[in-house]
Amino acid sequence: MTSRLFKVLLLGTTLLATACASTASGSKQSAFVKSSKKSSVSKQKLEADVPEGGILAVVRYPAVVEEGARDKFREAYINSPIGGTIKSQLKDKTQVHNVIDSTIVKSNYFALSLYKELVARLPEHSVLLSPHEVKLGPDGKLTSVPITQAETLPSVVAIDFATYSFPDPDKMMGKNPLTFGDLISPIVTVKTDHRAAVPTHGVLLSSQPLTEAAVGNGYQTVQADLAELQSGRFKSTVPELDFISLLSNDPTKSTATQSLSTSTEKNGVQVSPLEKIRMDGKTILALDKTKNQGEIDPLQPVFSEAFANRVIDIINDNADDKAAMAKRASAIASYDPSLAALTFVGSDSPEYQARFNYVSRMLDAERKYLSVQSLRLFDGVHNGEMGAQVRDMLKAEYGILQKRRDLARKQNQATALAIIGAAATAATMGGGSPLALGGAGSDGGANDPCGHVRRRPFSSPTQQRTALRQCYASYERRLQDSCRGAVRDGRFRTVQECVNQNHYRNQRGAGRLGTPGIGGGNIFLTGAIYAATQIFAYKDQSAAVGDNYLSSIVPALEQQTAIQVSLIDSNETITAIRFDDLKDKLKTIYLEKQRSLDVVASNCAFNGDGSSSGTWMGVCDGGTANGSGVGVIKKADGTAVEYFGYATNGIPNGAGYMIIHEPSGSYSLEGNFSAGKAEGVMRVSKAGEVDQMRNYSGGQDVGGASSKSVINSPFVGSSSGA
Amino acid sequence: MFRTSTLAIIISAFGAFGAVAQDATPTDMTAITETAKEIVVDQATQTVADAVTNSTEAAPDPVVTSTPAFTLQDALASGERARSADPVQEKCITIMNGFPNSGHEGRYQFFKLTRTLADDVDPMMRSAIDFYGDSNVTYQTPVVEVIENIANPVYRQAAPEITVGNMGYLIDFALDCNDYLTGQIESLEAFDQNLTQADFDVVIGEDALFMKQILSDSLFRLGAQDHDVYGPYVEAYADNLVRARNDVEFTSFEAQLANLESVYMNDLDGRLARSNDVINNEMDREALANALEITNDLNDQSKLQTRQKAMRTLSRILNGGW
Repeated sequence: MTSRLFKVLLLGTTLLATACASTASGSKQSAFVKSSKKSSVSKQKLEADVPEGGILAVVRYPAVVEEGARDKFREAYINSPIGGTIKSQLKDKTQVHNVIDSTIVKSNYFALSLYKELVARLPEHSVLLSPHEVKLGPDGKLTSVPITQAETLPSVVAIDFATYSFPDPDKMMGKNPLTFGDLISPIVTVKTDHRAAVPTHGVLLSSQPLTEAAVGNGYQTVQADLAELQSGRFKSTVPELDFISLLSNDPTKSTATQSLSTSTEKNGVQVSPLEKIRMDGKTILALDKTKNQGEIDPLQPVFSEAFANRVIDIINDNADDKAAMAKRASAIASYDPSLAALTFVGSDSPEYQARFNYVSRMLDAERKYLSVQSLRLFDGVHNGEMGAQVRDMLKAEYGILQKRRDLARKQNQATALAIIGAAATAATMGGGSPLALGGAGSDGGANDPCGHVRRRPFSSPTQQRTALRQCYASYERRLQDSCRGAVRDGRFRTVQECVNQNHYRNQRGAGRLGTPGIGGGNIFLTGAIYAATQIFAYKDQSAAVGDNYLSSIVPALEQQTAIQVSLIDSNETITAIRFDDLKDKLKTIYLEKQRSLDVVASNCAFNGDGSSSGTWMGVCDGGTANGSGVGVIKKADGTAVEYFGYATNGIPNGAGYMIIHEPSGSYSLEGNFSAGKAEGVMRVSKAGEVDQMRNYSGGQDVGGASSKSVINSPFVGSSSGA
Repeated sequence: MFRTSTLAIIISAFGAFGAVAQDATPTDMTAITETAKEIVVDQATQTVADAVTNSTEAAPDPVVTSTPAFTLQDALASGERARSADPVQEKCITIMNGFPNSGHEGRYQFFKLTRTLADDVDPMMRSAIDFYGDSNVTYQTPVVEVIENIANPVYRQAAPEITVGNMGYLIDFALDCNDYLTGQIESLEAFDQNLTQADFDVVIGEDALFMKQILSDSLFRLGAQDHDVYGPYVEAYADNLVRARNDVEFTSFEAQLANLESVYMNDLDGRLARSNDVINNEMDREALANALEITNDLNDQSKLQTRQKAMRTLSRILNGGW
């Protein structure tokens, strides 16, 4: 009997040691809250930062998954988990699909929190929403495309936002990222045009898991943009969401990085950790309590507000001509192709200025119009029945999580009790009962009380035999003593009956606790075993609560998804028809009013340093670049050169901004060029370094220059130091 | 609100615009021609009607071809003398009484037009106008009559000094009485916010530009561009008219675009709001409530099952069945 009980005890202790439950905790606030201070950039300064005919920020997020891409999306989501590994057998589980699908609904909802914060801080009509549809590309790979026209306008930054949940519902209460109830794992990137952040291909900030995918996505966008320019077109590429790049395993790329708290101006991606943030439970519970439900935003204090402040600082640091010039040229080309290429570096001519003012004003009209669309999208999703239902769902999820947390706490209490019980049992029986001598015997007998002595290392066989003899003698003696006590208590009629029944040689299997036990450990043991069974009961119940919710929520989730799609589709259909009409009318007015340009832009040859051939879009004379514009040379080996500025006879000459793309990375030179080569003081931007002033001669770096040097920049107001 | 160019009404009474009108931009001409259709010919005086008869094919030769000997000091002194002759307040009130009194809109239009005429006129240009101008305008002359004199193609071609003199009179008034004019303009704007609409500004701006062009051309006919002292200022004034024309045209474009923008934004906003309402109303909020009810039922069952399972396990262990 003693050996049976001992077996239970051992097994129980082992289980207890692994039965501690996590309570699905999260950090009280995002790293952005910890590392950020309130942005000190004034609204007036931000007004000035709004690029001509452009906006300051566009918020991109996965809003819809195309029917035909749903399976692929789920598969990719499961195959590229963030924050853990997942068992392959889970891929067909409904609950897993629901976890994945709900991240789209949550991304839709919480992206609006960020939008709201940015709208409150930035000038009117300078923030747009760009919901993306996840679909299959021509190559059958997963990709995403913008549903609205928001990304046709030049923007200083583009913010990718998504919420993430680790797809294994069994790990919901663990440490894996989760967006459920009061927990949220936002994953973000902040990007600008690659011309404004050359070394990182435009990526300025990224959540850690997305960084390499975002840089890789940026690199792909650069390649696509260069291909368009090489073909003589200004079509600006809209990249897929970085999150989708990650899921579809697109080629990644590494670059210099820095932590959020670093305040240097070196060229590197600011990396934020993957987070699981816990929003305030009371706020979640109050989501449906106020008259205007949308006023309560649980994400604001723990993430959105601080992140918006960080974005504003980034905008302030990056709002210059380079961030918006390419997309602006692309937008202008739809009205006035002969003007588009001239807008990169501008001109003092009154005719140019007049045309540019007209066309900028038309792009302003576009952005105002599209901002109405964004505001109504916000209104439809956030303030309508859709938003109310998402809030109800958050509240319900919070209830589920709280229930599971409660069960986890009970499970932990039971665990503690079981451990205490086991320890007490061991202490009681180990001192006064033969049971304490139980253990596996060398002969395979499971209950041999002196098996442990047999296994212990001894310096000689004689020593071991002595120890075994003593052990068995002690065991027999204590068993006799215990049985005498048991006879006195009336539990056995004779000592021999007791000995026979309790001797280890007569034991098979675990101790039968239903029979009269021996020693004071039984009460503790019984308690420990009861607690152990409760641990599993709580654990099972917690898992069932999660599973039950995820199984039952399907119709509601499907409905939310359907309504979401309807809201966005209808919004875009209505907007697009009128938008095309508006653009036609704008074009008509423009053509009525515009005057002829003395100098027009066209396409001709660009020769770089004289040894290569490329495309020039700008002022041409004699079939080659002669004046201002943009030139590109894309070589077969993957290297490329972009040049913005002035050229003579097809070769950079005068103020210019050159971007060199090489396999090792990209860097830029800004300053004076002579006969195609850098000449004089140049501002040099390289990965992992702060922008530097360097002296160049004949295209060669010949040493450092004063940081206060004035460079010959082609961009108005950009001739200051590094 | 349809607003008519003050100048178009007056000028159209002459039937022909003469050389200055030919210099006007196509946009000006279109605006003037269109608004001229709306004119009330009766507003033109008999004197003007007589002038029309004699003005159609007047020769554009300048009347003054030589520059009189004159110094910068003389110019500034003569300007100061002319302006300090009368108490400003009395002058301003008297002249303002001579503005049309056909309603607040008309008065606003004339006040703003007059004030705009003084834009870009620096002290040297003002002296040049005083120097080349010659007119018999008095404080009692109604403003409409002054503008008629400026627009009169006969004067512009045959006696540009009268045109310049009349313009000088209005510019002097606008500069000396700027505070009074501004006060009146602001009061009227406060009275009627519609007066500040961009399209009305465009109408006034185009009229002002047209009259400035008349002044510049008249000065050129008088050979002011060749004057040692005033020449550069007259040239600069003419150059500025190109920029001013661009500005007026852009303001016109801006007004047109602002209207379009407003119409489209309001229309879109309304449509999207209605669409949102319709779609949101399709939402069956019971779906979530039902799902939660099912979840609760399932949870109750699960709770029971796990308890039973625990008891069974416990029982097995305690009874040695484990």
